[in-house]
Amino acid sequence: MEFGFITLIITILLKEYRKDYAIFAVLTGGAIILYLCLDTLMGIIDFIKTLSNSSGGAFISILLKITGISILTEYAVSVCKDSGESSIANKIDLGGKVIVISMSIPAISTALEALTRLLP
Amino acid sequence: MDVNLLFKIAGIGIVVAVLHQILSKAGREDQAMMTTLAGMVIVLTIVIKEISELFETVRTVFDL
Repeated sequence: MEFGFITLIITILLKEYRKDYAIFAVLTGGAIILYLCLDTLMGIIDFIKTLSNSSGGAFISILLKITGISILTEYAVSVCKDSGESSIANKIDLGGKVIVISMSIPAISTALEALTRLLP
Repeated sequence: MDVNLLFKIAGIGIVVAVLHQILSKAGREDQAMMTTLAGMVIVLTIVIKEISELFETVRTVFDL
């Protein structure tokens, strides 16, 4: 929480003096905050991993990969939108979606197979 | 990966802004441009190191 406020104040200050340094402050502040969130996220992921060993482990790892990718894409998209470049943000978003879809193809195919087996 | 990193970037930004003003007032436009570029490069190296560290951590956490 306090990191967010510190980054906010520094960004506003830098925006007044030098426009381009504000983006650096936003990038670093975001990186620090995300770094801190990842520490607690590790515990959650270990818990999910132990839980998933019993049931379908493959899908859980794909799920984790997709969450990782979406966190990073969201980080880049919000920074680009913040600096006013919404076109670049949309391109990054598109790239993230393409990667996620390409990773979830095996899951979709197994789901469809299960579905066709169920139907008469 | 600490808050003093943010203060370092803010400090460099302010110092470069002030230097730019002084040098441009003193009539040395090219040197003002040089100091701005130098400050930009320094801050860029810091930020890139941070971002790469973050991406490595995310890679190891989600085993991407």
